[in-house]
Amino acid sequence: MENNQQDSFLQMHLDYDGGNILRETVRWSRFLSIVGIIALALCLLVFALAGSAILAAFSRLAPGLEGMENLGGAIIIVAVLIGVSIAGFIVYMLYRFSVLTRKGIEHQDQTLFAEGMKCLKIYFLASGILAVLSLLSNLLSLTKLF
Amino acid sequence: MENQQTPNTSSSLDNFFNIAFDESTRSQVRKAAQWARIGALCTFISYGVSLIVTFFNSYASISSIIGAIISVGIGVWINYYLYHFATSAAKGMDAMDSIKTNEGFNSLRVYFKIFGIILIIALCFVALIIPFALLRGI
Repeated sequence: MENNQQDSFLQMHLDYDGGNILRETVRWSRFLSIVGIIALALCLLVFALAGSAILAAFSRLAPGLEGMENLGGAIIIVAVLIGVSIAGFIVYMLYRFSVLTRKGIEHQDQTLFAEGMKCLKIYFLASGILAVLSLLSNLLSLTKLF
Repeated sequence: MENQQTPNTSSSLDNFFNIAFDESTRSQVRKAAQWARIGALCTFISYGVSLIVTFFNSYASISSIIGAIISVGIGVWINYYLYHFATSAAKGMDAMDSIKTNEGFNSLRVYFKIFGIILIIALCFVALIIPFALLRGI
């Protein structure tokens, strides 16, 4: 019993200000994630309805993409699906962070709060990897320039 | 009457005190902050690289250079808050300092808020453009 009390004194607790800040953080992150999920669903819908027209328009805009038609639609569909699923995973993690953290604070549930923080970690891990890949592609374009 | 109101206030204040940053939660936040810092730093470098590419691109027009400067400026402004979240939250978790932790999460709040506001503005633009595009199509 004494050990438990000592442990709870050693732990850092979420104070009133911190709770309010996290509540607002969670509100905005939920908005972002819901809009992201809707946008991804719309992207998939548009690609499913007008995939061939979009590809033709792209090949007119960028001559380098003309060869893409020969590769077949299957590769492009797979690429789009991979892109959408990665983005979907990131957005879903943001949504889970917002839902679990809010529930954790409202129901005073330590487990839910910890799960929410885990989802925040996964969200930043995935977006960090994407940022590294984007930096590498930017550096590649820089080497092409010089 | 006063006595009846006091328990409600204290219970709403106590809600937050029952949530603790225990060892596993602190480790999750620390790792989140670590990856957020990696992401923010990579994004800062990416912005620099894209500015260099735009400036040295012989086909770049003045409008595209101005556009690149504005978008990089907004991006740097947003990512500054992400970087501040990463540094403050990590320091707060290491030192078990709730003020630093709150500063960190406040930066994360501002980061998401700016993203949200930019998203709302972008959605408004899209909502305005779609009817015009449809009219031009007809």
